[in-house]
Amino acid sequence: MVTLEFYDPSGTLEVTQQHAPRLASLEGRRIGFVSNEQWQAYRMLPMLKEMLEADFPGVEVLPVDTFPQGNALIGNEETAALVKNSGVDAVIIANAA
Amino acid sequence: MDFVGVMKNAVSGLGLAPDAAMVTFPIGMFLPGSDITPVRARKREFYEGLTRWQSTLARNAAGAATMLSVEGASHEDALNKANNLLITNLWGDGLPLWPATRERVDWILRGAALPRTHVIGKFPPRGGVTTVETCAVALAMAGGRPEYLPVLIAAVEAFLDTESGSDQLQATSGGPFPVVIVNGPIAKEIRLNSGFGCLGPDPQRPAGASIGRALRLLQQNVGGALPGVGTMAIFGAMRYTNAVFAEDEDGLPPGWQTHARQRHGYAPGTNSVSVVFATGVTNIRRRGAKKETPEEDALNGMWRMADFMRAPNLAALAGWEKGTPGIMMLAPIVARRMAEIGWTQDSIRDFLWKNSRIPMDQMRRAGAPAWIEIDANPLTRDSIKLDPWPICMKPDNIVLVVAGGGHPTHSYWLQGHSPTVQGRVIRVPETFDGLLANAARARIEHGDLTAVLFLQGYRRAEFAA
Repeated sequence: MVTLEFYDPSGTLEVTQQHAPRLASLEGRRIGFVSNEQWQAYRMLPMLKEMLEADFPGVEVLPVDTFPQGNALIGNEETAALVKNSGVDAVIIANAA
Repeated sequence: MDFVGVMKNAVSGLGLAPDAAMVTFPIGMFLPGSDITPVRARKREFYEGLTRWQSTLARNAAGAATMLSVEGASHEDALNKANNLLITNLWGDGLPLWPATRERVDWILRGAALPRTHVIGKFPPRGGVTTVETCAVALAMAGGRPEYLPVLIAAVEAFLDTESGSDQLQATSGGPFPVVIVNGPIAKEIRLNSGFGCLGPDPQRPAGASIGRALRLLQQNVGGALPGVGTMAIFGAMRYTNAVFAEDEDGLPPGWQTHARQRHGYAPGTNSVSVVFATGVTNIRRRGAKKETPEEDALNGMWRMADFMRAPNLAALAGWEKGTPGIMMLAPIVARRMAEIGWTQDSIRDFLWKNSRIPMDQMRRAGAPAWIEIDANPLTRDSIKLDPWPICMKPDNIVLVVAGGGHPTHSYWLQGHSPTVQGRVIRVPETFDGLLANAARARIEHGDLTAVLFLQGYRRAEFAA
């Protein structure tokens, strides 16, 4: 038998931070949207806002345009700081592009 | 098709475990006029993503690369199994690969001027840790040689520059591919093509194919740009070898500067790369067909080039201020004839910039202003006031390179999607001359007698010339 040993070419990954802890409940929470304004987000996100507000008493869902929108803006540090300083308990990021 | 792979790459690139709380739908839901009632039907998934979801992937840390192993009844059988293993793990490009054995990778690493564990960066969007060794593994798989490694490493450094935009370009639907322009004597020393067929393939000057293929393997295997999974490149382009070529510095007309000098300020004789992202290529038949004078022939050709450039390439908005709308390749014989009748690099760029401007009524007809209005760069957004609208902020944005065969009929336009043009100096190890000698010996063994000159004692510059 011939054995051929070679490198896995995918390199290594380095996990440097953990995903945010989940909320125990959405009742009475403050939820935000970070939208790239693409892919029918202008229809889907208002629908989600309406559903959350109907299903969870006391939930506050911020308007879709509360934070900067667009692929070029939603990933920058300024937007992240705005989200963090807004006091939201969770954000929904959409839509993938 | 969905964006799950793109999303996993994105979160992985941020240093998170490569998964996320996602609710996915078929692509048809994201088109104008679609039925979005499935969002309502699956609202619980959104709620659970905010409350119950947990990452299933354990924390891990960067470490040494993993070794794989196959057994076969013969070397041929083992090689076949190795290729099958690479392909089934989605680590290939569909063509046969050299398994990156320790022996082969160690051989490639003779071309490194940096330690094998030196971290160049994290390859976006997946964020795979990219070391000198990672590059050597890719180059080994791509059929490369040690003397190619310095060019690949410089190209990877440029690619990973945070200003390059590669984190988004890797995943975007337009499928931009890196174009690596090499200047300096190293191009000839490693047999990188600047002449006929410089965009490849060329068995006489094979370096560009291996270097470009290795870069592509890194983009996919380490960066996660797997078609339809990690990159939404709808059509893809140049996906086997990218585009790696040398400027024909000997073909530059007197007084013309190298691309590396003009764009990056590198002194003549400096080995360097310049990385541009392009989305497509267009051949332009620029030569006249009848009894044109040299002046008419040049001017007609310039108009034809400008006419090709005068298109609402909205991907190029990303580089409107600092990047480039594309690369115009002039064959050396064309550059020399144009220089003889008074054209300069500046006057050529000025002409192309001025005459590729697009009347705003044509922009409006194409719906182009909407894309300008949402651009992140305020200078680009302000450009909407210009009529005719220039395809880039200033003539110097246009990359003009002298390369290609000694034939006057065509020019070549590689349209850009390039937020910046990144340059890097190529560093070679002290033993580089020895590597070139070894390469020459290998060529002699295969009947390439021009390599004898090197071994007969001609200095490298003479040999390369």
